[in-house]
Amino acid sequence: MALVLLFSPLVGSVAIDPVRVLAIVLSGGGALFNPCAGAGPSCALDVIAVWQGRVPEVLLAVLAGAALGVSGGALQGIFRNPLADPYLLGISTGGTLGASLVFVLNVGEADADLVLPLLAFLGSILTGVAILAVARGRYGSVETLLLTGVALNAFLSSILTVVLLYNPIGSIQVTFWLLGGLGGATWPRDGIAFGGILIAGTLIATYGREIDLLQLGNEVAQSAGVDARAVRNRVLFLASLTTAIAVAFTGVIGFVGLAAPHAVRRVAGPDYRIVLPGAAVVGAAFLVAARDLSYLAFPATVLPIGIFTSLAGAPFFFYLLYRRRQSTTMGGA
Amino acid sequence: MSATPSPAIGLDGVSVRYGSRRALQEVTLGVEPGEFVALAGPNGSGKTTLLRVLLGFLAPDSGRATLLGDDLRDLPIRERARRVAWVPQEESPRDDVPILDYVLYGRYAHLGPLEAESPHDRAVAIAALASVGLADRAGDGILSISGGERQRAILARALAQEAPVLLLDEPTTHLDIGHQLDLLERVQALSREQGVTVIAALHDLNLAARFADRIVVLSRGRVHADGSAAVVLSEELLARVWGVAADLRRDPRSGAPYLLPHRNLPAGGSPPVPPAAGPIHVLGGGGSASPALRLLADQGFELTAGALHLLDSDSETAEALGVPAAIEVPFAPLGEEARGRNRGLLTAARAIVVAPFAVGPTNVANLEDLLPFAGRVPILVLPRPAGSRWDFTPGEASALVDRLRAQPGVEECPLPRVPERLRTLLAPPGADRSARTATA
Repeated sequence: MALVLLFSPLVGSVAIDPVRVLAIVLSGGGALFNPCAGAGPSCALDVIAVWQGRVPEVLLAVLAGAALGVSGGALQGIFRNPLADPYLLGISTGGTLGASLVFVLNVGEADADLVLPLLAFLGSILTGVAILAVARGRYGSVETLLLTGVALNAFLSSILTVVLLYNPIGSIQVTFWLLGGLGGATWPRDGIAFGGILIAGTLIATYGREIDLLQLGNEVAQSAGVDARAVRNRVLFLASLTTAIAVAFTGVIGFVGLAAPHAVRRVAGPDYRIVLPGAAVVGAAFLVAARDLSYLAFPATVLPIGIFTSLAGAPFFFYLLYRRRQSTTMGGA
Repeated sequence: MSATPSPAIGLDGVSVRYGSRRALQEVTLGVEPGEFVALAGPNGSGKTTLLRVLLGFLAPDSGRATLLGDDLRDLPIRERARRVAWVPQEESPRDDVPILDYVLYGRYAHLGPLEAESPHDRAVAIAALASVGLADRAGDGILSISGGERQRAILARALAQEAPVLLLDEPTTHLDIGHQLDLLERVQALSREQGVTVIAALHDLNLAARFADRIVVLSRGRVHADGSAAVVLSEELLARVWGVAADLRRDPRSGAPYLLPHRNLPAGGSPPVPPAAGPIHVLGGGGSASPALRLLADQGFELTAGALHLLDSDSETAEALGVPAAIEVPFAPLGEEARGRNRGLLTAARAIVVAPFAVGPTNVANLEDLLPFAGRVPILVLPRPAGSRWDFTPGEASALVDRLRAQPGVEECPLPRVPERLRTLLAPPGADRSARTATA
């Protein structure tokens, strides 16, 4: 993991001498020593490109990947559904709708940097809160929640379509956003994401044992001492929060949240005390690797990373799907 | 557990409603530590609701439920889990976790936040597995073992909770008879040897009678009967609570009472039997009369049978249905006593049904005694299966049957149509038309 982090900045949208990149990274962007000693004037620009561009991008990939991995794993657990992912309940659609308002309202370029993540976050978290309100009510069975999420997702999508239909210019930007990207990474944003995701993600991971017991059914879990409803609602809230933060800064990046927990389960077994932190690590590694590969495969372009994760993730998912048919490691849908 | 004489479980006037339906009404029940109580009652009588109240899944709408002296509502969920464990009717594990890990789930309530299982927890889990006979299977996956073993693993998971009270909801439903006995024997041993208080909802009254110290019968949300099997189980109870007719027997080995249910009691709308129709006599032997006896008994006809040999399957059917019969000792020709009794029953009969029984030297007298009644009462002859040999006499029986068929009032009638034909034949003359329409 450390190696991935160290070497990932080597790749980027413009070619920079790898030794110089390593020097810049190791020097902490020039804070520890001068990586440009004896180098030409272009080195100063490289420092900015690496330290203000690539490094925050890699870190954001780590954070978003971890966030999606851990919330995907947790949601698969509380819904007892291997197809659950962080976007299942319409959280991403809510975020996209929020983001689309930026383009619709014609927020100025300067303000958009701040307003877009904020609106995206609000859109996501409001969707999560709406689901949670249903969950806390008397109709809060797992099935009702899932169906509510699906219906809410469809509802928000249709509103989004209407919004985009009447704003053709905004729709291109929203589409780009919808595909997900790490391009918006900056140190301050990474800082916010780091704080939020670290806290919420860690809290999610502490519910591993409870989620293990929930696999036996709500009532059995309750009889063994797990407050099934409270656990589900808290995890639902934390997963919504974690996902909303990730969506706010990266847009919609598919398949990480779905595939990372499955990958961990296949290797390490079904214990959620391992699956949850494991999914965070694998999700982070997957997203960083996807970033690096997308630069290697399509040099000098900025391919939306969501395309790449889906391209790589879908075949992997098919593999999982058809492997499961043969084994009994996980029953039902 | 302690010197204070608080019951393990106490229900005091507990009522629960689902919407407008009353699932439990004013249920008051005390269970002493170490008792094995079976909850019985028809579907919808409130057994599961009662268990759900004791598990804290449902709060009573009125009344009070206590667990080891404390009101269930005051117990935090983990404390509750340390006091009462549960084996559901069916638990469907999703993942193929090793059995030992599965049993360790039961230790959750004993662990602090984020605390991993200690060697002590593992020891408890292994002991629980040993007590259900699965110690050597600890490493096998929970999905890779048989259904009977899985139900035992689930019992072990509940035992790992080390709760003094164990609740089971129809734990044997999906098990074959061997595994049913095995599971309940283990539960009984827990109650007797370790003082675990057990409440088990059991559909099978005979299993309940065999294993439980006490049977509580629920009916429409109320306690209908409460006591030992010997006190509670009766034919009258089965008729009133389940609407089922049954014979009460006693297991010669264990001495436990058991019930042999034989049919549902007619519920209101069954076709009417003419009042004071009088008995229908069924002639048979070798099992040939059993279908007719069962069908007519189900339809409410008063029956007699004969002359049959003891241990013959028709005589067993007659006995089980409570049908009076003329009986002879096995393999002997019908003697004068049996024939006399048979003639008596024939005389009393309002109609006679002749089953397609095989006739040999030992029972040819049945046909001889029947012949004088032809023309006096209606005789319905059930058709014989084509091609089967039935006359084991030197032609005597065939001749008698031919003579019988030639008599007035003798008709062949297939079994399914017999009840309707009898109703028509026996209906009072004026009621003929209405009886037809009632049975149509």
